[in-house]
Amino acid sequence: MEEKKDGMERRTFLKTMVASTAAATLGPALLHARQFQADSLQVWSCGGLSEAMNIMNTRYEKKTGIKIAYTGAFAAALGKSLLGGAVTEVFCGRVLKLAKDLRAAEKMIYFRPLCFTEYVIITPLGNPSGIKTVQDMARPGVPVLLPLDASPPGSAMMGILKQAGIDKAVLANNLRRETCVIKMMPQIIDGTGKASIVERRLTRIPKFEGKVEVIPIPENLFPPGPLTFTVGVMKYAKDRALADDYVNYLCSDEAQAIFERQGFIPSYSDKGRMLVEKLGVKDA
Amino acid sequence: MPDVKEKAVSSNPLMWIRRLTQFAMLAVLSQWSFYGIFRCPYLVPFVNCQTCPVITCWGRITSLFWGFWALLLVSVVFFGRVFCGWACPGGLVNQLVGKISVFKMRIRNRFTEIAPWGLFAGLALAVIIWIGLYNPRSMIPIRVGEFWSSIRLSFEHASVIWLVRTFIVLGLVVAGLGIANLWCRFACPTGGLLELAKRFSLFRIFKTSACNDCDACLKICEMGARPDETNCTNCGDCLKSCPVDAIKIGKKGVKS
Repeated sequence: MEEKKDGMERRTFLKTMVASTAAATLGPALLHARQFQADSLQVWSCGGLSEAMNIMNTRYEKKTGIKIAYTGAFAAALGKSLLGGAVTEVFCGRVLKLAKDLRAAEKMIYFRPLCFTEYVIITPLGNPSGIKTVQDMARPGVPVLLPLDASPPGSAMMGILKQAGIDKAVLANNLRRETCVIKMMPQIIDGTGKASIVERRLTRIPKFEGKVEVIPIPENLFPPGPLTFTVGVMKYAKDRALADDYVNYLCSDEAQAIFERQGFIPSYSDKGRMLVEKLGVKDA
Repeated sequence: MPDVKEKAVSSNPLMWIRRLTQFAMLAVLSQWSFYGIFRCPYLVPFVNCQTCPVITCWGRITSLFWGFWALLLVSVVFFGRVFCGWACPGGLVNQLVGKISVFKMRIRNRFTEIAPWGLFAGLALAVIIWIGLYNPRSMIPIRVGEFWSSIRLSFEHASVIWLVRTFIVLGLVVAGLGIANLWCRFACPTGGLLELAKRFSLFRIFKTSACNDCDACLKICEMGARPDETNCTNCGDCLKSCPVDAIKIGKKGVKS
């Protein structure tokens, strides 16, 4: 049998393959990590963004090798802590005023529009009560469930119902004042409540997706306050370049597509740009 | 000359096996347990895990929630309140705290007779809040976050009623420094539930008619109980303690 003279030896081939795979896998992360002084970034966000942020943080960590120390909770609570003595490097808050207050208090260096939320009616599959509009929720005898004692959905619900002029009639149909919108969802799915109002993002959580009917609500009924999410770099950012890079990632096409998939309106979509102008989401 | 307790400990390897099992279960259940106490936004923890907004809680992200309740049911059917003595991370903490408590209360008197009713009062309160009041969310949930900083934020943004609930639980555990195992013996709602259910269990540790009421078993029991009486968790610590060999383990109703 003739021995093969040309070409790569088996051992060289294997070494090359391992080295190439390692370089392809670790290269981008190492390259990114070298750009920054810090190897981790502390990020706080409104709890409503948590599902989307978890996906984006995992991707960002994979791309850059930077560890994201992430906390997601009710933005007003986190904002209150931040306006007090708490510290984080990047903050994604809900409600434009909070971002402006943090800027005014010189705790935040700058902010950018991140995304917007929108409200929808949900019903059990098959829509047994034939709900088509918010006005239908006011029909006598339609059992509705509203997360009125949850924050922030409760105040937004009431804003929508008052704007539609049906708050008293819908409250008369309300089975009970739910304290948690996530805890309420199974009771709509199982038909205990025949309708509710939630943010669209709730209908995109894997556990609930495809298990309720989703009916849009006209935008003119939305209270403007809770619609806006911003992302800002705090003055406590240890590595400003890293914080900026993370903010740029959240505003990138890739991350904005994740927000859209999770039920938000991306700020750089046509509708998002319209809302940026309409709601004045601009850093002074 | 060794006392009754030392003799029972040295001659009963089951006590060491139990302790090892408790530490193993601590590794499995502790994170969920501590989430329940410190980060669960509901007044009654461990019952709404599947619809809880705290994304990182182990009861939610694993099948621990369903597995736990199934395991608990099976354990009750076979060995009554065995979970308290062999698996509960809170039970282990209480028992370790009890080692240095001032009053072991391993006696029979009016107080130790009446105080276990606190288990049922705790259970009744939990059921009323859970089912009657739909277990309200009473704290701003820290949906994602590092454990300790999230606990700090939880306390910072909790409602008064959540703080009252949490400090009562923690206070009763700390009070275990005064009276051994105070929480497990006199207040735990889960213990109350298992105490009610244990009478239907298939197997148990029990006293035979040879018992002469010397209370040697009571002196060794961390729960201050005698076999098959209130607060007996079938832990097995007393199996070698009886001077007249009147303690047995076996099928209910088949006493030897």
